Amino acid sequence: MFEAFVFYLLATVAVGSAVAIVLAKDIVRAAVWLLGTLGAVAGLYFLLAAYFLGAVQLIVYVGGTLVLIIFGVMLTGRSPWARQRPSRWEVLAAAVTCSLLFGTVVGEMMGAGWAGSARPTTKGQTVAELGRELLTTYLVPFEAVSVLLLVVMIGAAYLARVERR
Amino acid sequence: MQAIRGEDILKPRWDPALRSRALRAVCRGCLGALAGAAAGAAVARLGLRGHPVAVLLLVVVPLGLAALAAVAGGLIVLAGPIGRALRRFAAPVFWGAVIASVLLIWGVAELMGFVGELARVDPVPEAVTAFGGPLTTGELRESLRGPGRFVLLSGLLWPLQFGVVRDLVVVAGVVAFVSVFAMFAIWWERKVSARIQSRLGPMRVGGWHGWAQSLADGIKLLGKEDLIPAGADRPLFCLAPYLAFVPALCGFIALPFGAYWVFRNLDVGLVFVLAMVGVEVIGVILGGWASNNKWSLYGAMREACQMVSYEIPMGMALLVVVTAAGTLNLTEIGELQKSGWASWLAFRNPFTFVACFLYFVAALASCKRAPFDLPEAESELVAGFMTEYSGFRWCLFFFAEYAAMFIVSGLATTLFLGAWYSPLPVRWGAVLAEGGLLSRAVHGLVFCGPLWFVAKCILLIYVQMWIRWTLPRVRIDQVLYACVQVLLPLTMLALLGQSLWELLVPRGSALGLAANAITSAIGAVLVMGAVGAAAYGRMNRRRLVGSLAVEHLPGA
Amino acid sequence: MARDVLLESVPDLRADLDRESMAAADVRTEEMLVNMGPQHPSTHGVLRLVLRTDGELVLDAVPHIGYLHRCAEKIGENLAPYQFIPKTDRLDYLAAMNNNHVFSLAVERLAGVEVPERARYIRIIMAELNRIASHLVSFGTYGLDMGAFTPFLYAFREREMILDLFEAACGARLTYSYITIGGVTHDLPDGFVERCREFLDYFEPKIDEYNRLLSYNQIFIKRTGCVGVIRPDEAIAWGLTGVCLRASGVRWDLRRCLPYEIYDRFEFEVPVGLPPGGVPPVPAGVPAPKVPAGTCVGDCWNRYFLRMIEMYWSVAIVRQALDGLPAGDYRSKVPRNLKLPEGEVYFEGENPRGQLGFLIVGDGSPIPYRVKARGPSFCNLSIARRICRNCLLADIPAIIGSIDVVMGEVDR
Repeated sequence: MFEAFVFYLLATVAVGSAVAIVLAKDIVRAAVWLLGTLGAVAGLYFLLAAYFLGAVQLIVYVGGTLVLIIFGVMLTGRSPWARQRPSRWEVLAAAVTCSLLFGTVVGEMMGAGWAGSARPTTKGQTVAELGRELLTTYLVPFEAVSVLLLVVMIGAAYLARVERR
Repeated sequence: MQAIRGEDILKPRWDPALRSRALRAVCRGCLGALAGAAAGAAVARLGLRGHPVAVLLLVVVPLGLAALAAVAGGLIVLAGPIGRALRRFAAPVFWGAVIASVLLIWGVAELMGFVGELARVDPVPEAVTAFGGPLTTGELRESLRGPGRFVLLSGLLWPLQFGVVRDLVVVAGVVAFVSVFAMFAIWWERKVSARIQSRLGPMRVGGWHGWAQSLADGIKLLGKEDLIPAGADRPLFCLAPYLAFVPALCGFIALPFGAYWVFRNLDVGLVFVLAMVGVEVIGVILGGWASNNKWSLYGAMREACQMVSYEIPMGMALLVVVTAAGTLNLTEIGELQKSGWASWLAFRNPFTFVACFLYFVAALASCKRAPFDLPEAESELVAGFMTEYSGFRWCLFFFAEYAAMFIVSGLATTLFLGAWYSPLPVRWGAVLAEGGLLSRAVHGLVFCGPLWFVAKCILLIYVQMWIRWTLPRVRIDQVLYACVQVLLPLTMLALLGQSLWELLVPRGSALGLAANAITSAIGAVLVMGAVGAAAYGRMNRRRLVGSLAVEHLPGA
Repeated sequence: MARDVLLESVPDLRADLDRESMAAADVRTEEMLVNMGPQHPSTHGVLRLVLRTDGELVLDAVPHIGYLHRCAEKIGENLAPYQFIPKTDRLDYLAAMNNNHVFSLAVERLAGVEVPERARYIRIIMAELNRIASHLVSFGTYGLDMGAFTPFLYAFREREMILDLFEAACGARLTYSYITIGGVTHDLPDGFVERCREFLDYFEPKIDEYNRLLSYNQIFIKRTGCVGVIRPDEAIAWGLTGVCLRASGVRWDLRRCLPYEIYDRFEFEVPVGLPPGGVPPVPAGVPAPKVPAGTCVGDCWNRYFLRMIEMYWSVAIVRQALDGLPAGDYRSKVPRNLKLPEGEVYFEGENPRGQLGFLIVGDGSPIPYRVKARGPSFCNLSIARRICRNCLLADIPAIIGSIDVVMGEVDR
C-alpha cells in the first residue's frame, strides 16, 4: 500500500513535469521541469530496487545532461524570457503526430503480457553482475559505445578549441 | 569616565511588565496542559482501555507540554541568575552540553537498537493500524532490564518498534546533526581563519570563545528582510537554495557513521552519495540564473564548469578504492579497515595512497572551496551566484556548502582513512565490546564508533579550511587545465596501476605487505610531522612571529 | 566631474552605453557589457571599469574616474601653503607623509626656505616608514584580490606598528600633516628611536616570510606571471613612473637619479624588474630572493615583487637615518604669511606609487596663484585600458592591483 502510494506520487510528478515542459513558455523553466521528470524517474528506479540504475540516472542525466542543457539554454536564449509562439498549423501537425505515437505506445502496452510479480529478480550484488554481463555477454556493444563516446569527446574538444590568432 | 563593558550593552532588557505578562501566559499554559493530561488519562483509561497510542497522545504529550511550560516559567523567573551563572561557567556549560548531546544520541540509538531487536519486524510492517501492533507495552515492560519498568517508559518505547517511526527519528537526528554541524563548522572556520591570520576570532557571544556566534548569526539571518530582486525569476529564485540543500541532506542517507549507524545500507551507497553531490550543481546554477544579475550568472557558469568537470577525477579516484575493496557498499568498505592503521585502504598500496590525495583535491574543487572558490570569489564577483541572496536563503546555501564538505570528507574517511575505526586494531578491544554500558562506551571511544568518524571528518574539514586560508585563488582556465590535463591523467594512471596491482600482486604476498608497510609508515610520518610542526610552531611562537607581535597582540 | 578615458573613438561602445541598448545587450552569446564598480571589492577605491567581455575574455576595459574628485587644486588657490598641507594628506591617503614631503619641498624651493638638518633626517625617516606602510597595504590587498586572505592580515599587523609610531610622533594614524613648510610640526617623542629600531628588527625578517607565503606560491605566480606585460618603451611613452616603470626594466628612481632632500647621503639600491633567475639587490644579512620561472619583465608579478624589495631598502634607509640623526631644530622659523615670490616651481618626488609632482605658481602673495598636483596613479592608470585587452576577467583585479592605484590621487 505504501509502495502504491509512492508509485502514484512519483508517476504524477513525472508525467506532470513532462506536461509542464511542453507547456512552459520560458525555456529555463522548461529545463527545470525536466529536472522534475528525471528526478521522478530516478525515484521510480529506486522504488523498483534498481538502486544502481537510479543513482546512475541521477549522476548522468540530472548531474550531467540536465546541467549541460541548462547551460546551453542560459547562454543562447535571446533574453531571459524567451517566448515560443508556435503557429496554429504547427500545433495541429504536432497534435496529430503525438496522438498517433501515443496511441501506438498505449496499444502495445495494453496488449503486452506483463509478468505478475513485482519482486526483484536478482539477489545480492547487482553491480557485480552488471559488470560481469557488460564484459562478457554485452562486450561488443560496450566497446562500441565507448568508441562512440571517445569520438564525441574528441569532436567536442576540437569544436571548442581556442582559435590561435 | 567609566569604562563601558561589553556585557552591559549585550544584556537583554527585561522590563517588568513584559516579564509578568510572559509569566502569566506560561502559567496558564502549564495549568491547561496539566488539566488536559488529567482529562486525557481519564478518557484513555475508561474509553480506550489504556491503548498505548491513546496514552501517548492524550497523556504523555500534554504532560510533556506542561513540563516545557514549567521549565520556561522557571527560566523567566530566574533569568538574571541563570544568565550570570552561564556567563561565569560558559566553558563548562558548553562542554557539558556537547557531552550531554553525544550521550543523548548514543542513548537513543541504544534504545532503538534494543526495541528493534525485540520487535524483529520488517522495516515497513505490513499492517500498521491504529489498534494492535506486534508488541504491547506489557511485553515491553517485561523486557526492559533494570529498574526501568515504568508505564511511561514502555509507552514511550512502544512507537519505536515500527520501522517508520525509527526512520523518522533517524531523519530528525540527521537533520539536527547537519544543522548543528554546519553551525559548528562556521564557528570553527572563523576560529581557524582567525588563528591563521594572527587574530582571535569570535570571543564574546556565549562567553567561551564565542561558541554561540553561529547561533546568533542564524537568529539574525532569520530576522532579515526577504529580499527578492526586481526582475528575478521568483519561483526559481525561491527554489534554488532548496535544490542545493536537499541533495546535501540526502547524501546522508547512505553515509555510514558506524557499523550500524547508517540510515539505509545501500549496496550502491558510494554511487548514490556521488549522485547526490552531483545534483547540487543544479541548485547553484539556477540560483545564479534566477538572480537577474550578470555577476551571479558569471558565478553560476563558472561553477557549473568546475563542478561537473571535477566529478570525473573524483569518481575515478574513488574507483581506485572500489577496485581494492571489491564492493560499492560503504559499510562493507568500512568494515575492511578494522585492523588498525595499516589496514586503512589509503595505505594498501602506493596507488591508493596517491588516489587519496587526488580525491581530496578533486573534492576541494567539487565543494567550491579555495583554491577553487571562483563561484564565490569575493574580490571579483562580489559573491558569485550568492550575490542576490540574503537572510535565510543565503543561510541555506551556506549550510549546503558545509553539508557537502562533510559528505565529501565522510567519503574520504570511509574509503581511505579507516571509516569509524581508530588506528588501533579492533580485536585488541574485543573484550570490551561484549560488556555492559560503560565498557561499551570505552570501546566506542577507543576502538571504533561514530565519534571517530565525526572526528576524522572534522580533521579533514580542518585541512580544507587550512588550505583555504593559505592559498590564493586559481583562475577558471587554470582550474579546468588542472582538471583535464593534470588530475584526470593522474587518476587514470592510478586506476590503471591499481587494477594491475590487484590482478598481479596476490593478497598477502611479500610485495603487497612491503608496499602496505611502507605506505603506512609514510602516512604515519606525515601525520606526526604535521603535529610536530604545529607543536614546534606553538612552542617557538615568540621567536618565529616576533616578540613585538606576540606581546602586544592577543592572537599573534 | 566625470571624465571618460576614451583615447580612441569607439562609436559602438558609445552607443552601447545608453540604457536601453544595455538592457537588450544582456545575454547575447557574443558580448556582454559588464560594469565593475564604482563599488566593488577589488577596484581599489571608487573606480568604475566598463568591460566588454566575450564570456571570460575581456575585449575592452574603459576606466571611468572622477568619483573621488574633491577640487583639491581649486582649493589650493584659496589656501596658504601651510593650510594646504592637510589637503595633500588626502591625495594619496596611504602615503600621506610622502605627499606632505613633496609639497613642502616644492614650496621651500619656491620660497627659498631653509630646513634644519634634524628636520631633514626626520622627514626621510617618516617618508620611508610611510613607504613601507604603503607597500604593505599594496601587498596585502593584492593578496586579497588574488584570493589569499591571510597576507592581508599580516600586512596590517605590521602596518599597525608603523601607525603606532606615527601616532606617537604626530597624533594621527592616516592623515598626518606632520611634514610641513620648513621642517616638521613636532619633534620626535622620547623613545621613538628605540621603538623604531625595535620595529625594524622585528619587521625585516617578515618580508622573507611574505615572499615564501605569497610571492613564490605557484598559484600566485600563475595568476600574475606574464599577465599585463608592459614593455619599457610603452612604459615611458605612457608616462608611467615608480614601480610600474621600474618593473619593465627602466632603472629610474628620482631618489637616485635626481636626488632631493638628503637622499644622496644614504646607500640604497634601486631594484628593477628581472627575468626568471635574476637576483634583485637586497641589503646585507637578508636572504637573497630569486625571481622564479613563469614570470617575465614588466608583468604583474614583477610590479608586485619590486614593492617587496623596496621595503628592504626602505628599512635600510631608515636604519641609516636613525644612526645619523643629529640634534637640533625640528623646524625653521617660517612666517605664518610666507610670501610666495612671483614665479613657478615644478617639483617631483618619488612616492610609493610613482612620481608625485607639484606645480606651484606664486604671485607675491601668501596664497598661490595655482597649485597643480601630478598624481602618479592618474598616469599609471591610463595604461589600464591598453593592457586589459584580451585578458581574462580574473586578470582585471590582478592588473589593477599591480598598478596599485589610489583613487585619491587619480581624482584629487
